[in-house]
Amino acid sequence: MVDLTQYLPILIFLVIALGLSGLFVFLPMGVSRLTGAHKPSKDKLAEYECGFPAFEDSRHQFDVRFYLVAILFIIFDLEAAFLFPWAVSLDLTGWAGWITMMVFLGELLIGFAYAWKKGALEWE
Amino acid sequence: MIHTIAFYIFAAMVIASGALVITARNPVHSVLWLILAFFNAAGLMVLVGAEFIAMLLVIVYVGAVAVLFLFVVMMLEIDFAEMRAGFVKYFPLGVLLALILVSEMILGIGAYSAGSMHLGTADGVGTPLMGESNIRSIGALLYGRYLFLFESAGLVLLVAMVGAIVLTHRERGTVRGHQNINKQVRRRPGDATVNTRPEVGKGIEL
Amino acid sequence: MTAFFESLGMNYEWAWFVATICGILLIALPLMLAVAMIIYVDRKIWAAMALRRGPNVVGPFGLLQSFADGLKVFLQETIIPSAANKGLFLIAPIITFTVALMAWAVMPFAEGAVLADINVGLLYILAISSLGVYGVVISGWASNSKYPFFSALRAAAQMISYEVSIGFILICVILWAGTNNLSDIVMAQKGAGLGIVNGFFFNILLFPMWVLFLISGMAETARAPFDLTEAESELVAGYQTEYSSMAFALFWLGEYANVLLMCALNTTLFFGGWLPPLDIGILYVVPGFIWWLLKTFFFFFVFSWVKATVPRFRYDQLMRLGWKIFLPMSLLFVVLVSGYLMLTRYG
Repeated sequence: MVDLTQYLPILIFLVIALGLSGLFVFLPMGVSRLTGAHKPSKDKLAEYECGFPAFEDSRHQFDVRFYLVAILFIIFDLEAAFLFPWAVSLDLTGWAGWITMMVFLGELLIGFAYAWKKGALEWE
Repeated sequence: MIHTIAFYIFAAMVIASGALVITARNPVHSVLWLILAFFNAAGLMVLVGAEFIAMLLVIVYVGAVAVLFLFVVMMLEIDFAEMRAGFVKYFPLGVLLALILVSEMILGIGAYSAGSMHLGTADGVGTPLMGESNIRSIGALLYGRYLFLFESAGLVLLVAMVGAIVLTHRERGTVRGHQNINKQVRRRPGDATVNTRPEVGKGIEL
Repeated sequence: MTAFFESLGMNYEWAWFVATICGILLIALPLMLAVAMIIYVDRKIWAAMALRRGPNVVGPFGLLQSFADGLKVFLQETIIPSAANKGLFLIAPIITFTVALMAWAVMPFAEGAVLADINVGLLYILAISSLGVYGVVISGWASNSKYPFFSALRAAAQMISYEVSIGFILICVILWAGTNNLSDIVMAQKGAGLGIVNGFFFNILLFPMWVLFLISGMAETARAPFDLTEAESELVAGYQTEYSSMAFALFWLGEYANVLLMCALNTTLFFGGWLPPLDIGILYVVPGFIWWLLKTFFFFFVFSWVKATVPRFRYDQLMRLGWKIFLPMSLLFVVLVSGYLMLTRYG
């Protein structure tokens, strides 16, 4: 059965880690105001573009290939998600489970081969 | 007691961040609230003892699906005026969908509390194997009893992959000559350079 | 540890709570110290490989260099660009650092010395490491500046590409160990190689997986030769370009904490964790934690060595390696390993 007392430390850890990193971000902001290091100016707060004023908005459309990578990643991630329970229950499912998974991997392999053939995995 | 407190914290956070998903003005903020909602849902899953599902929720939804969402909204040229117009246009449809969902929930809860259904109880179909972790129980059921459903899930994934490629992949007109790594690695200094010692005042023929 | 606090006269709940807090601090604080020291070690190793001296001014042998750097960034001004999305700009380093710390919650440092001994430990690590991408993407987007944005996109695509093959590699390990629990995976490696070598690397089917894991680990943590996210010749400093002060340092610390985590995972999954290298009685005299530390440090040396010697990959080479070589190979080995186990162990 699931031992919930093993998860409580993770929750406490999360709170402590968030607190620590929050402290690290906000404490120096206060300290720099006290020490006088905090002197913002217009040029200092401008975004970095090798010394030039920014040419155009920086958030513009990017290549659709990044999408394709993300979608392929979702699919292979799901495949891996199916593999995790399979990997620890092979002794319970035996050959039937193994063959099932091989058929499943075969299906995905067809898709992978298609992606490869279409050049979806190419970058230049 | 901690169990109860944790449940209420997680549940409240799920609902609050869910509400913020639809009220946030910036779509990127919406996606981030959605991620927070997924997280707290994973916390709820841990509380009911479904640790494997909780981890899957984080790996698949937070780690993969939400990354795609983030890509999509980051790529959108955000135009708030247009979004507001769209909101008014789709408002009746949204209300209709919400009503359908609410009525389905009422039906489902009503049917469940009426007790006419056996949702994974008593007859042993859905009960976990005794003394096994739930990841092993899921494995034993999924790759034994529900083997064909699992295979059809594989087919759905295949269709999704092919569909994604068909929709988003474009042939690039200017494909540069792809590098042949094998050829590059096999290239030796002798293939490209010669070592000569010309006499003084005389050049060499290349 | 709970028993110790109980002996001080607390009731069980309080003793457990105090023990857990102590455990967390015992992981988080030495980890931060280790990161500070490992940055120094890293610089010393590169220096030695380039026939330089490296940091040698602050403190004996320059040992205090990282602390001096830390103090410096701590006293600096936090610059928030006027075009930036302020809240998210500050949240991004918090996410990065929190995620880098959280993964250590399930790491077994020695027998029984693990904060949260959960059944799905390896999945937990995979889940947490898949969150690392958010710190990068949010910082790149919130900066509202071109270089960070490009870097964030690159980093996101790179991290998710290598996560795929890491997932399949982990499945090979889980198949062999038959469990998801990290402590049990370590115990399964006892005498795994010819009955004498403690570790999965001494196994013809898992050795290639270890090699892939080592390289994927470098790509996943955006460590050289895969540090395209901060390729200074193209992207200035990558997604951290607009950051300053501790917000910048948190990215730095988080990155090194992740590198250490990858080293620790190499140790835990393939080199027998806290077990001595050979399954011989006399070696068990040395405490497990020392073995764990030595092995992890060895892997850190390997990471450093690679960074000092291997030139940076190009982005197309990186994606090609991930999708066209690592992914098919790790899938093939899932089939091979499971097939072998079906024939010998479960069949």
